[in-house]
Parts: sequence; C-alpha cells; structure tokens
Amino acid sequence: MALPGSSPGVPATQPADVALPLGRPGRRTWSSWLGEYAGFAPALVLFGVFFLVPLGLIVCYSFWQTVDYNVVHHWTVDNYRYFFSVPTYVSTFWATVWVSFAATALTLVIAFPFAYWLARYVPKQYQKVLLVLVILPFWTSYLLRVYSWLTILGPEGAINRFLHWSGATSKPVSFFLYDRPAVILVLVYLYFPFAALTLYASLERFDWNQFRAAMDLGATPGTAMWRILLPQIRPGITTAVIFVFIPILGEYLTPQLVGGAKGVMIGNLIVNFFQGAQYTRGAAAALLIAGLIVVLLAVFRRSLEVEDPYGT
Amino acid sequence: MARDLDIVSRRGRLTRGALSVWAVLVYVFLFAPIVLLVVFSFNANRYGTFPITGWTTKWYGQVFHDYQIRDALTTTIRIALEVTAVSTIVGTAAAFPLVRSRLPFRSGIRIAMVLPIMIPGLLIGVSLLVLFTSVFHQTLSPTTAVIGQSVYTTPFVLLLVAARLQGFDASLERAASDLGANTFNRLRYVVLPLLAPAILAGALFAFTLSLDEFIITLFLIGSHNTLPIYIYTQVKFGITPEVNALASLLLAASVTLIAAAFVLPPAIDHQVGES
Repeated sequence: MALPGSSPGVPATQPADVALPLGRPGRRTWSSWLGEYAGFAPALVLFGVFFLVPLGLIVCYSFWQTVDYNVVHHWTVDNYRYFFSVPTYVSTFWATVWVSFAATALTLVIAFPFAYWLARYVPKQYQKVLLVLVILPFWTSYLLRVYSWLTILGPEGAINRFLHWSGATSKPVSFFLYDRPAVILVLVYLYFPFAALTLYASLERFDWNQFRAAMDLGATPGTAMWRILLPQIRPGITTAVIFVFIPILGEYLTPQLVGGAKGVMIGNLIVNFFQGAQYTRGAAAALLIAGLIVVLLAVFRRSLEVEDPYGT
Repeated sequence: MARDLDIVSRRGRLTRGALSVWAVLVYVFLFAPIVLLVVFSFNANRYGTFPITGWTTKWYGQVFHDYQIRDALTTTIRIALEVTAVSTIVGTAAAFPLVRSRLPFRSGIRIAMVLPIMIPGLLIGVSLLVLFTSVFHQTLSPTTAVIGQSVYTTPFVLLLVAARLQGFDASLERAASDLGANTFNRLRYVVLPLLAPAILAGALFAFTLSLDEFIITLFLIGSHNTLPIYIYTQVKFGITPEVNALASLLLAASVTLIAAAFVLPPAIDHQVGES
C-alpha cells in the first residue's frame, strides 16, 4: 500500500499519490495519461509478442496438421487423439503427474520441519543467514545442480566407487541412476529452496504465543499444530505446492540426465517431437501440460494473491 | 523470554534437538553434491570421481586453453550483458505503471507478467522456437536466445523494482515537482537514485540467471554454444574432470554475483541515505 501523502484537499479514503498525478495536480490530460502508461510499452512488446503470442501459437499448432513436414492450417483434434492413442505417451503423461506429485510431497515433508526449526528455534539474528544459505543453490546453475548428482549417483559416481572400494560390490550398480527414484531425488533437491522459502515466510509471521495458549488450555502439541498452526499457514503451504509442482510438470533436464529410459517425463516427449520437426504433435503435448498448469493456477488463484513468494 | 519456556521442558528439548539434526542433514543434502563437484575438479584421477588420487590444478589449465570453452564463454557473456540491459530497462519501466497507475485488471496483469517465472522454461523455449522459425522465418542465433532469456529474467527485475517503488514516499517526488523540477529532473535526481539499489540487484540477478540459463537457450541458440549448453553436450559422454573444473568456475561466478546482489544494493542505499 502506498504511503499516505500529505496533500490537502484529498479525501482521506483515497491514497494520495493515486488521486494526485505528478506534474500538474488536478489536471489529467492525455499527456499525463501517456506518462502514466508509457513505461508499459516495452514490456507489452516483450511479454505480448514474445510470450503471449507464442503461447497462442502453440495453442493453434496443437489444433493444426502436419502434412509432409509442412504445417497445414486445418483445424482438427487429431494431434490429441494421436497422443492418447499411443499407450507409452499416456503412461508417460500419468507418470509425469505422479512424479510431480511424489516429488512435491517429499519436498514439503522435508522442508516443513526445517522451516519450523528455522522460524521457531533459531535466534532471529541468524535466521536470515541460514535462509540465504538454503536459497543460494537456487541461484547457481540449474544444469550444474543436476550434473552434480551424476558425480554421486552415476556408474562411476561416488556411491558406486565407495561400494566398490569397501568391497560391498564387485561391479558398478546402476540401481541409483536411470530410474524414477533418482529423478524424484534430484527434483526434491532442485525445488527444496522454493518450498523452504515460502514455508519459512509464513511460519515466521506466526505468533507462537497462540501455540502455547492452546497447550495451556490442554491441547497436545499435535492438536495445537493441526488446529492452530496449520490453518494459519495454509496459504503458505498452497504457494509452496504450486511453486514446486508446476515447474516439475515441465521438467526436461532431470529425467534426461538421471532418469534414463525408465524415468522419461512428458518434457522429454515434447522435446523429441520438436526435434523431430513434429511441431503440431509436440504442441499438443505441450498444451496438455500448459492446460494442467492453467487449471491449477485458476483453482489456487486466491491463495496466490494472498501470498507473494518473492516478497514484493 | 517466553520463547525459551518451551525449551525448558524435556519434550521441548527433544523436539528441538531432533529438528536441529534434521536441519543439519538438510544442509548436508543441499551442499554435498556441490562440494563434491568442486573437490573432484581438483582430483588428479581422470574419471572425475572417487578415488582421490592426488591434488592438481591441471584440469583448470585445460579449461583455460580449450578454444571451444573460450568461444562459449564469449557468447555467454555477450548474451548475459544484452539480457541484463533488456530486462533492466523493460522491467524498471514497467514497474512504474504497475505500482502507480489506476490500471484496469492490475492483479491480472501482475500475474501475466510473473507467469514467465512460474511456467516451465521448456514451454517458453518451444513456443518461441515455433515463432522464430515458422512465423518470422528467422535463423536461430544468440539474438533469439537473448529475447527468450529476457522473457524469463525481466519479471525478476520487475518484481524487485516494483517492491522498492511500493515503499517509496511519493511526496518526495511531489516536493521536487513543487520546487520546479520537470519530469526528467525528477527522474534523474529523485526517483532513480532512490530506486538504484533495486535496479542494481535486478541487473545482477538477471545477469546471473542468464549466465546459468539452460532450457530456453537450448531451443533458441542455434549452432552457437553457451557454457551451460557446452557442458550439457560434454555430460552426454560422461563425467570428465575438465567439465568438473569448468562447472566449479561457473558455480563460483554465480555465487560471487549473487553475493554481490545481496551485499551491494544495501551499501548503495546507505550512501544515498548519507548524501
């Protein structure tokens, strides 16, 4: 909210800086209108031409046809029908939803006790530093964070070398890599900072006296947490879920590097379609993910408005 | 202090202890892969993993002498500078109407502008690929990659600057206006100095994000390489100590830039406050 200005004659209910445009107070000409909105022009070009238009294009492409590597503007749902007629694609689609769900749940289960510890037991002056340490990996290269797990899980990786060296196995075990568990593990690693940050932000605002009051009135810690704490931090939890689940739906690199043939997700299918110049089929697969995201955002719109994960 | 009361009980201490152990494990989980990567980059063994057979810096030497890496580095920095310029200007300019004007559908526009952060980069990359190749009939080049990355980095600048603008006392500007400052002078002497810390932080974030961006670039870069793309093509052939060394350098660069983004803006702020 804007700070209350000190201009006389402005009704107190109106924020002063909105009521009074800068420049000439009281007069709203087209030039002041231009001044107010001109800043939007570059963003409109960038987000309009290079974000919204391409997304619209993908929508169109998903309903067009590819004939002899040429896109024909003939409206049809064949691309979707094709996608759902191939059992591998359908199972990959469900596997993607399942992996996203499992990784999100696991991320939250790991992040919640951590955020709880940070908000409740760590002295205020250290909280910020410890939080920055958690967020730091998020700002380093996404590719390198996935890659770094190869040095641990891979056939030549740390675990196998250790097992071999200690005599537990005689040849490298590929069990750790190239399957869903490896994908989920790395996804949890990648998205942990998001979850920890949002959960901490809502726990930090919680008044722990309410918790103690509930326990004084006879609630067990479990009841106090369930009935007092959880309802108050629910928007934070929803935001964390959204911000972890949605990007995972479109993951490409993690399944590509650590998932192998068994860990394929829909992102890999989309890339394969596009690299094979099957733009319309790829667009349909991409739109399935985009549609799922739009539905999720629409459903959880309200809690996203309450909570701003970037702290603005 | 009331906070300490529940630590006194035995149960409270136990919970606290268990949670502390959990937190330590979380930090180990977060940093072990990165630390191992750096350790392996100094390892003499040529497989880039255990066992550690001795310490060497020769892999770093190879990184600096590899012409492919030098090419990729030049492209990466060029792209990062352009992305930083675009997203800083566009993001800062858009922050004003977003915070100050009586925009219809303000929350809707806000969500639309933050959407590029939320939706998977894959969708941005794929949709721009279609736009550039099928509609504009453009050859993919570092420039198309700059556009794609800017779509993703601009919201970060926008959010940072908008947050700063929100907590900004508009009466300062009105005072300057009353004292005869025109729009340009108000911007030059009042608004921009006050926004400078947020703009600088935004620029540093944009630069770092661009440096590390992978998926959008993969679709839009064409035949050129950035460092992440180069590393990706090498990783397909397995782990090598050279890639470990290059990766460590890239990590160090990101961490330095982000540290700067956290440390420098408050320092400027302090200066502005004093002058």
